[in-house]
Amino acid sequence: MNQDVIFTPLRFRNLEVKNRIFRSSISGRFDNEDGSLTQTRINWECKFAKGGIGAVISSYVPVLMEGRIIAGYATVHRDAFIPHWRKLGEAVHSFDCKFIMQLSHSGRQMDIPGVHNYTRRALSSTSRKETLHGILCRAMSLPEIHHTINAFARGAWRAREAGLDGVELHAANGYLFTQFLSSGINDRTDEYGGSLANRARFLLDVIQAIRAEVGGGFHLQVKISAVDHNNVIPWEGKGNTLQESVEVARWCEAAGADAIHVSTGSLFPHPLNPPGDFSFETMASTYDVAISSGVSTLRNYYLFRYPVLRPIFRWLWFRMKRGRPVEGVGLDEARAIKAAVKIPVISTGGWQSAAKIRDAINSGDCDGVAIARSLVANPDLLRFWAAGDDLPPRPCTYCNRCLLNAPKNPLGCYEPLRFPDHETMVEQLMTVYNTHPELRVPEPAEVVP
Amino acid sequence: MNRELPITAVQEALRGRWRLWAPVYLVLALVFLIGLVSTALGLIVLLRVSQNHTPRYGDIVEHFKYGSIGAEQNSGIPYRVWRALPRLFPEAFEQRDDYAAFGFLYENDADDRPRDLPIGIARRVYRGVEVVWFNCATCHTGTVTVPNAEDKSHVTRLVVPAMPSNNLDLYRFIRFLLDSAADERLSPDILIPAINQTGPKLGRIEEVIYRWFVIPALREGLVTRRSRLLPLLDKQPPWGPGRVDTFNPYKRIQANWPMSSLLPEELIGTADFPSIFQQGPREGMHLHWDGNNTSLAERNLSAALGAGVTPESVDHAAIDRVADWLKSLRPPPSPYRTDAAAAARGRDTYMKHACVACHGYQDVQGYVFKGEKLGQVELNYDPKVEPNKQLGTDPRRLDSYTERLRDFQLAELFKGTQYQFKSFEKTFGYANLPLDGLWLRAPYLHNGSIPTLADLLEPPEKRPAKFMRGIDKLDPDRGGFVAPACDDPPPAQMKNFCFDTGLPGNNNTGHRYGTNLSPAEKSDLLAYLLTF
Repeated sequence: MNQDVIFTPLRFRNLEVKNRIFRSSISGRFDNEDGSLTQTRINWECKFAKGGIGAVISSYVPVLMEGRIIAGYATVHRDAFIPHWRKLGEAVHSFDCKFIMQLSHSGRQMDIPGVHNYTRRALSSTSRKETLHGILCRAMSLPEIHHTINAFARGAWRAREAGLDGVELHAANGYLFTQFLSSGINDRTDEYGGSLANRARFLLDVIQAIRAEVGGGFHLQVKISAVDHNNVIPWEGKGNTLQESVEVARWCEAAGADAIHVSTGSLFPHPLNPPGDFSFETMASTYDVAISSGVSTLRNYYLFRYPVLRPIFRWLWFRMKRGRPVEGVGLDEARAIKAAVKIPVISTGGWQSAAKIRDAINSGDCDGVAIARSLVANPDLLRFWAAGDDLPPRPCTYCNRCLLNAPKNPLGCYEPLRFPDHETMVEQLMTVYNTHPELRVPEPAEVVP
Repeated sequence: MNRELPITAVQEALRGRWRLWAPVYLVLALVFLIGLVSTALGLIVLLRVSQNHTPRYGDIVEHFKYGSIGAEQNSGIPYRVWRALPRLFPEAFEQRDDYAAFGFLYENDADDRPRDLPIGIARRVYRGVEVVWFNCATCHTGTVTVPNAEDKSHVTRLVVPAMPSNNLDLYRFIRFLLDSAADERLSPDILIPAINQTGPKLGRIEEVIYRWFVIPALREGLVTRRSRLLPLLDKQPPWGPGRVDTFNPYKRIQANWPMSSLLPEELIGTADFPSIFQQGPREGMHLHWDGNNTSLAERNLSAALGAGVTPESVDHAAIDRVADWLKSLRPPPSPYRTDAAAAARGRDTYMKHACVACHGYQDVQGYVFKGEKLGQVELNYDPKVEPNKQLGTDPRRLDSYTERLRDFQLAELFKGTQYQFKSFEKTFGYANLPLDGLWLRAPYLHNGSIPTLADLLEPPEKRPAKFMRGIDKLDPDRGGFVAPACDDPPPAQMKNFCFDTGLPGNNNTGHRYGTNLSPAEKSDLLAYLLTF
């Protein structure tokens, strides 16, 4: 029997990963309000590193405090945090796993702004508020754009300084890059809006700035949404098509990207990303933390809270899913992009079955897959595959409760069907805190009165 | 109060949004409030408007006199207006605060308190407003004044249900009502104060309802009826007390035929109110003066239409209750104490001259409904024989009921219901009527043109040409009511209406039967007739 393609190394221009499985970006509120990461985050990432995956793509890491999606996620906006990230890198490397930092900026998709962003509108390509939650924003000025481009470059530099293995630009799922890329969102009239080339300019500027900052020898991959499907709210424009995204992928390659990571959707969460179910009861119990974040959030809360209103949202949400698989939901788009570029392509979207992943890679549709939820359910998923199983005994059900709980509760698996009782589930959730911090008495100079 | 400053950008935006939308919210709230209030008001109005109830009387006589047959809804007058009218129109009401001036009869109730409504006026709460109007007793309850049995110098006035309403001057009453529609005194500004003076003051809402709905609707209805009826009434000599034109109003109110389509000779159908005793034996006979219907039930419904019911508002149960009672109601026995021998001789004459064939006869037990032609009428038109030639009484009442009216009645009235008319027919003479209760059915003949039985036995030229109607005192000798000639000074406190037999419809010709008997035979026959 030939060697399982899943467990063959994936060679990028500047990076070799031991197998084809990436832990896709996912995060809980593990970190400090100032953006410094904690032992909890190190524990979190090591769960997956130990499970045998090739590389961890970090959770969403803002390059500026004004680009946070949820306060309590680690940031990379300060040089002072380089040692923290270095520690995290060391921890992941200790399990023979690579660590790629996902450099991000929320733009207007700022779910829980945090105290830093309370009094200001989020920065975006547009001044039109975010459609689902009504998060307020304003169009960035050119100096603000340049400042942000620079922040990305500095973020990449800090990642390299921290000894991490690469960076990923989060240009998918509705965050700032998408807000520039998407024809459904970007309503600018300057050189950053209008034509596809103009809309892609911000992303390409960032790639170039990073290359200028860190050189050509540092791994840089770009995660894009292949199709926007921006019309979740039915009267919104549909956004970018696959053809447009293929073009963007080509430009990224030309600008110096080492890989493309293919996702879907111009907002997050999106009916097609992550694909799966939508638990209204979970939303009714967690969405309250976001009620103050936008001008439409209270309305949404009622839609989630009251069963009589739920059909409205259910219709909005599920009408896009009809006829689409959960696992490998974005493979067709990945194939199209893979055909257009020479750099490796990573697909994300519901991957869990070894056979399907094997097929996808063997057939040349993609070079690797990024997985989040199935690994949250089974961090040692690869162990089952290595043993010849296609699926673990208690696979991820795609209930999406992990995602919907993330803004309020500790990150982990919340699928009750996977646990004998609630206490067992909570124990699983608490494992991320299972740590023995070396508490110390602060130096007098460290204490600010 | 200092308003707290907004903390987040979202709060600030929401405040802006509130400032922007506040007028809209305010308008929405206002609309909601108005909606709420109008819904509440609407419900109250609906509850009021849906009200339709009338007092029920356990006693059948009370029911007959005061119970509703369903005429108030469409024809009635609001009770409060009814009470206020005498104050506003003292000249028509002879300065009284009741309707006695028109011949309506007032009684005391069981507790001997004067009743507020006269006999023949029923009340009903309809659409939240109490309205009053006619029932069967309006036209079929009269009075007779008889000497006291013990003390002949004193008299008793008996109210007799089912006898003709010999006091009621319906023509004058209807004309008064129709004219009042055009009188400024029926405007709310004058009428409402009068209403407030003749009963409890109207509440604010009540007053609004009366000012804007009840009074305008009343006037509207009266104006319409005035436009229908007045051209007809103008063509007719005043009916006088105890008389009505039964069928001509049909042509104007129910059928709404133009006056120009009515022939001059059919326009005066004025006749006496009939008595309505003992209806049971009359089933199958030709009813009405001209015998145009053989069905008691149809005759009753037709009369109810005349009283103001409509096919929608009619209360069949109430009418049936009256009809059942009337089937066996006997007239009070004659108070006349005539010489028994004379009466026996008179009976022989009555039998011998075939009076019995047409009119049945009186026995010791009472009136006997037997006679070959009793309740019969000429049904077939013979072009060689002038209709009604044999009897020769005034033809106007007969002519007022036309083939055209019959066709309309059968086609339109109670159309599509089990009550649809089918028994009306055009006749060519006056029916031979039973004579039960004859003593209180004066004046005689269908048009009441002959005051006493004694006069009836005289040839037409000897019958009184002009006499007073509306006096309920029995004539002790001649049978019927006292009817002085018009030239005589009228008896004090008696309403007087001069009945002129020279006017169209009032002719006292015909029914010459018995006129050529000898005076002695006439006297004996009269003695017998007075026992009826």
